[in-house]
Amino acid sequence: MPDLIAENLEKQLGTAQVLRGVSFELQEREILALLGASGSGKTTLLRSVAGLEQPDAGKIEIRGKLVFDAASGFEVPAEQRGLGLVFQSYAIWPHRSVFENVAYGLRVRRAPEAETRQKVGAVLERLGLGQLADRYAHQLSGGQQQRVALARAMVYNPPVLLLDEPLSNLDAKLREDARAWLREIIKQTETSALYVTHDQTEALAIADRVLLLDRGLIQEEGAPEQIYGAPANRFTAEFMGSNNRFDGRLAEVAGARGKLEAEGWTLWGGLRASKNVSEAATGLIRVERLHLCDGPGAGHLKMKLSSSLYLGERWEYLFHLGDLRIRVWGEERLPEGEYWVAVPETSLWIF
Amino acid sequence: MNRALRSLAVIGVALVVFGPLGLIFYQSFLSEAFFSPTAHFSFEAYRYVLTDSGFHSAFGTSLLVSSGMTLISVPLGSVLAFLLARTDLPGKKWLEPWLLVPIFLSPVVLAFGYVVAVGPVGFFSLWAKALIGRVPWNLYSLFGLVLIAGLTHVPHAFLYVSSALRSLDPAVEEAARVAGAGVWRIAVTVSLPLVLPSILFSASLIFLLGFELFGLPLVLGDPAGLLVLTTYLYKLTNLLGVPSYHLMAVVALSIVALTFPLVYLQRRMLRTAGRFAVIGGKGQAFRPLPLGVLRWPAVFLLVLWLAVTVLLPLVGVTLRSLVSSWGEGIKLSEVLTLDHFRELMVYPNLVRGIVNTILIGAIGGALAVVFYAIVGLAAHRWQSRWVSFLDYLVMLPRALPGLIVGLAFLWVFLFFKPIAPLRTTLFSLWIAYTVVWLAYGLRLISASLLQVKPELEEAARVTGARQRLVYRDVTLPLIRFGIIGSWLLIFMMFVREYSTGVYLLGPGTEVIGSLIVSLWGTGALDLISALSVIEVGLVGFILFIALRLGVRLHA
Repeated sequence: MPDLIAENLEKQLGTAQVLRGVSFELQEREILALLGASGSGKTTLLRSVAGLEQPDAGKIEIRGKLVFDAASGFEVPAEQRGLGLVFQSYAIWPHRSVFENVAYGLRVRRAPEAETRQKVGAVLERLGLGQLADRYAHQLSGGQQQRVALARAMVYNPPVLLLDEPLSNLDAKLREDARAWLREIIKQTETSALYVTHDQTEALAIADRVLLLDRGLIQEEGAPEQIYGAPANRFTAEFMGSNNRFDGRLAEVAGARGKLEAEGWTLWGGLRASKNVSEAATGLIRVERLHLCDGPGAGHLKMKLSSSLYLGERWEYLFHLGDLRIRVWGEERLPEGEYWVAVPETSLWIF
Repeated sequence: MNRALRSLAVIGVALVVFGPLGLIFYQSFLSEAFFSPTAHFSFEAYRYVLTDSGFHSAFGTSLLVSSGMTLISVPLGSVLAFLLARTDLPGKKWLEPWLLVPIFLSPVVLAFGYVVAVGPVGFFSLWAKALIGRVPWNLYSLFGLVLIAGLTHVPHAFLYVSSALRSLDPAVEEAARVAGAGVWRIAVTVSLPLVLPSILFSASLIFLLGFELFGLPLVLGDPAGLLVLTTYLYKLTNLLGVPSYHLMAVVALSIVALTFPLVYLQRRMLRTAGRFAVIGGKGQAFRPLPLGVLRWPAVFLLVLWLAVTVLLPLVGVTLRSLVSSWGEGIKLSEVLTLDHFRELMVYPNLVRGIVNTILIGAIGGALAVVFYAIVGLAAHRWQSRWVSFLDYLVMLPRALPGLIVGLAFLWVFLFFKPIAPLRTTLFSLWIAYTVVWLAYGLRLISASLLQVKPELEEAARVTGARQRLVYRDVTLPLIRFGIIGSWLLIFMMFVREYSTGVYLLGPGTEVIGSLIVSLWGTGALDLISALSVIEVGLVGFILFIALRLGVRLHA
């Protein structure tokens, strides 16, 4: 049985339709990332699951128990859903110590004092906060606050852990460490997690499955490798990663392959949308899939280097060919001139 | 708090607001006082008042005073706000709290202070006369009244304009500086125009307060025969010998008819004001604009205003309380005495008045804050039509001068027999005070509640706490400091309040403020000055505590 089922959720906020029929399931022990730009509705979706927003339509079940049904007007209030939520701002109560913040969920559940102490102690220890139990929020670093928020949300073993951009308030360096650590911690607990983020790297790294939201609709869902490496639609292909774009016309179709053509170049690629010959089409390829090569060949384009940018871990070259402008990554500084760029057919997606 | 409790709180507010107002409305259509057996439906009261030339001239004077004081206080308050909020004025940290002091002083005490300081035989008048042979000013004139009303209302303009200026992005001023503008030019062409909505808002507020003035015109206008609407209402009591409640009701309603549109206008202005503001970074440190050669003239302006508005009347009233008599040819050192304070203790009603003032301030203030907090929490994060109804509801008492609220509650206690015994207890005073300061109190509470980020409460809910627990464990502990601050501010307001108690004054309900008003009619200057000093001392003591605790002096 899935830990969480959301069915056809819709939500209007003011004049904006924030959710327009979103459905998904969260399997046991699965980490599902809700990925989307700001305004995509991902936070509203999370808050609807938590019970902090009331959707206009749809149904939500947690471990087989109905908690919300718009059709019958049924709603279990947030405090009775038993979920754990880590806020983007952490929302540590400033008037309570770390211990009292974490213990709160057990206290409202009237757990015996000894059990509360033992459980809070254990979770603090596990999250590396053992020494900080008596501190207050203002005495903690951002990373420590984030861990307190996590401890508070998981101390009472919620069936589903909800995380709203939990790493976005950390500085870049800390964030990279935290995401590995966070995935490990969630995996160790027996809980499933719904993880909202706008950072695709974070979503790919932490989640077992990614759900890409745009303007209140699910664009695509799948395993991280699939979302990034084999997107089914053009939105996903363009949203993820860094891409080059070839605008042209479909000259020929051969099974799942298509030939894209424009003035001065011709390229073969995998056809990912049903298109007819001579229709306008767009080729997309991840920047890291392009490379320089020695001479002419299938999918090789001769282009003029117009500028090079040094990005630290690599160089980025900008090439021109007529109206076509593409970016290629490489290892070293290139002298001015013309170069051959290889566009591998298997990596070029035609939409 | 569940729906039912929240709605109950709103209904409670509606009751205390509409009850008295409805009674005034009803009374205005009767031929006599409502308890008279021969009272019947009639437009007679309207006909009498609206054709009375006394009413017409009071209306005209009110209009003049309101406009005049607005024209004085808004420009002065705006300039002072700019100086304190944006420039490197020397000693501004130290001077700023003093700017708000007039808000906490009773106007009737201030007015009395002016009388004994610069009235025809005031201390300073006689000293001036000894020096140059004549008194160079005439306090008892329309001009004197307007000037003093204007000066004492500078803090209201200062408050709104300075808080708008503080949220202004310093970059817009720095841009003007870089472009070559001097500090005065920046103020006039950049900073103040950008906060124009707040300036206009404060102007409309002060214009409104002009119609509600009571203490100043009572003390300063009376000797010159100047009546404004509130003093006209007050004089009606004695005019006909019998209780002319129907006439008073009409005058009260005509004041409300003038003030209510102003309150409504302010609400509209407040809603659009946000759109104009250039909100800058989150209060980042910025370098104040250097005043240069204007430094000392600016300090002089501020100190001069303080001297005239605060120091002059307070010195006057304090001196008066310490002399046995005063007039031409008397040397100050020969008449110093503490007798007036001893004399106070002889009159049981005055002693009760002092005790009651402390009780109503400390305990009544605390209860009022509890009431405001309940209403504030009821409206807190509640998406409902009830809340917008409540918003409109609390506007109403703002349009009601304390004098009228006091009168209305007197009638309520006379009209509804079951609660009649409460009229002679402090409860009658407390409920009237609570209604008069409703909007102010709620603003204090909601300012505290606004500081509580919604996630802090949501976190508790998701963790499993019901609404009641969320309030107990998160919301209330987080605003406890704000509640204490609100209590101290309400404490001061209740101590300085005078007009609300005027009609409720009776054995058992004496407070310093209303006692001063009634003593003013008898000319007992000795007792008035001693009472005033005690009141100012009380307010000063609480103000001192509030400042020590770091309470923000405004909502």
